[in-house]
Amino acid sequence: MVAPPDNDVIWARSLHHSHNGSPALGGISLGVRDGEILAVTGPRGCGKTTLLHCLSGQLVPEQGEVWFNSVPVHTMGPRLRERLRRDRFGWIAPEPQLVPELNTWENTALPLLLRGTPRREAKKVALEWLERLDIGPCARQRPHTLLQGQRQRIAVARALAGAPTVIFADEPTATLHRSDRTHVLRTLTSAARSHGITIVFATHDAEIAALADRTVPLLDGRRVATVALPAGSDTEGRAACSLSV
Amino acid sequence: MLALRLARGSHPLVLLRRLLVAAASAGVGFLLLCTLSYASGHPAHSTGAVLRLLWSLVPLAATVQFAVAVARTDPSTRPRSGLSAVGLGPVRLAVLAAVSTAVSCTLGSMVALLFFLHLRGDLTGLPFDGAAAGLLDAEAPLPLAAALVLLALVPVVAATASALALRAEPVSTAAPDNAASKVLTEPEAPPPTAPPAGLPWGVALAAVGLAVEAYMSRGGGHSLLPLPGRLEATPAGVLAGWTLTAVGLAVAGPGLAYLCGRLLQAVRPGAVRLLAGRVLMDESRRIGRPLGVVCAVLTAAVGGYALYGAGAHPLGPLTALGAVLVLGCTTATLLTTALEARQARAQTARALLRLGAPPSALRAATALRAAALLLVFAPLTWLIAELAALPLTV
Repeated sequence: MVAPPDNDVIWARSLHHSHNGSPALGGISLGVRDGEILAVTGPRGCGKTTLLHCLSGQLVPEQGEVWFNSVPVHTMGPRLRERLRRDRFGWIAPEPQLVPELNTWENTALPLLLRGTPRREAKKVALEWLERLDIGPCARQRPHTLLQGQRQRIAVARALAGAPTVIFADEPTATLHRSDRTHVLRTLTSAARSHGITIVFATHDAEIAALADRTVPLLDGRRVATVALPAGSDTEGRAACSLSV
Repeated sequence: MLALRLARGSHPLVLLRRLLVAAASAGVGFLLLCTLSYASGHPAHSTGAVLRLLWSLVPLAATVQFAVAVARTDPSTRPRSGLSAVGLGPVRLAVLAAVSTAVSCTLGSMVALLFFLHLRGDLTGLPFDGAAAGLLDAEAPLPLAAALVLLALVPVVAATASALALRAEPVSTAAPDNAASKVLTEPEAPPPTAPPAGLPWGVALAAVGLAVEAYMSRGGGHSLLPLPGRLEATPAGVLAGWTLTAVGLAVAGPGLAYLCGRLLQAVRPGAVRLLAGRVLMDESRRIGRPLGVVCAVLTAAVGGYALYGAGAHPLGPLTALGAVLVLGCTTATLLTTALEARQARAQTARALLRLGAPPSALRAATALRAAALLLVFAPLTWLIAELAALPLTV
């Protein structure tokens, strides 16, 4: 086992994973530096989400290593990985995935409450973050009364409120319109820069990827130099795909 | 055919629930056949036969309630992206639910018929041939049409009820089929409904029921709807009072469950108490009604025990079968509804686990909910049962 370089927050080496036999990752290695915004790009189905799941400890890769701050994640038990996710990582999904029974500030404070932070303190932190993301007035409303963009901003606030080391954002703006999209991304990236939070996000949008410090293009579960496919000649590969239908 | 194909590929637990419905339907079918054989064996006692028929409606209602609860939890009858993509919308799915409920209930009815004929001695070749020929009036012929109508009662009523119950479901076309599939357009959680308002009505009904029972039991003696097998034993007023109390409990159930949730999340809650209480408040409508029904049945059971348990007459076999059916079906309905609530919240639970919430916290929230409900409903049941039994025993 090779110890990872010291300046990398997350370091992965030759990750292989498959979902019930269908291949998802085929030997991906990457390092994420401290305070960096890294975009994992590629078309749908190229393994971005699986890679983020592996890096954040939600999945254990079949082969390969994942290190977080020089601690191996791939050898941790499920309980330790949960704790790591709760204390050090934030997660933003394409859908807001809020708890419908809790109101806005309770949803935002949930990671803190789960860690056992006193209620008053958790509320203060949550309200501060909601204020910064321009959804302070909705703090007492339930998620079903809000717009999709506001809900996604709550999810961002929830990820930020826990003061994590790394935030994983899996297509954080996939279900939003363009104006909401820019707003969410701008708040996320500026908050991360000002608080020194590392962000790993997955996206298929080149415009969003331009916000990142560095991009890692994926194609069919592998790291490639560029996502653009070489334009093949017209006849090439025709015979292999001939079908009688 | 699709209903059968879906049933064949479903999980053993789903099949077990369907089998339980079949068993309950068999029990009710057997009771109905027994009333029929009593009627054809004793043409002179038509009042007694009608009474038996009326009393067997109670297990029938419990069985139908259970069948509907099972149909609602059945994964094959919920709107799914796979089925809705091939054109199986909510209406067709309701039909599917009705057919699969009818299939399991008909299976039960068939078993009841075979068992009944076997115990009467009409079918031979197995042990216990005609073991209960005396009880089931084997000498009188069984009218075929009447038997078939009675046996069709449970499947028809249960299928209609489950179709109606599932027709009212909100349409969510893009529910993910399993945890692994990543569907971007997850169904919106339905907006939480207003808090249930039935609590005052329920309390009033229960109080009126208790008062009626206490008032009527003073007269004593004459009986309008006696339990068969112990004629002249149950005064009509007492029965009316019990019915009112039971209805009151069922009406008050959601409100009480809501109150439990509200108390649970009051006064500076942590994560576990907050989740437990809020979820109970939102699920109170779903879980409260069957809980109230179970309480009512338990109250009646305790009252019945106070009335008859100490007496010299033991419970007759058919009365015992009916009582077991009612108790079993209502309890199973409660458990199935709890399962339905869990299925409805599976997505939230997944999101919480993704946040890093330990599964033990989610389990603790569930245990807290159950404990709160038990703490409120168990003393209440005991109190009402004692109050209901008081005028009869003193």
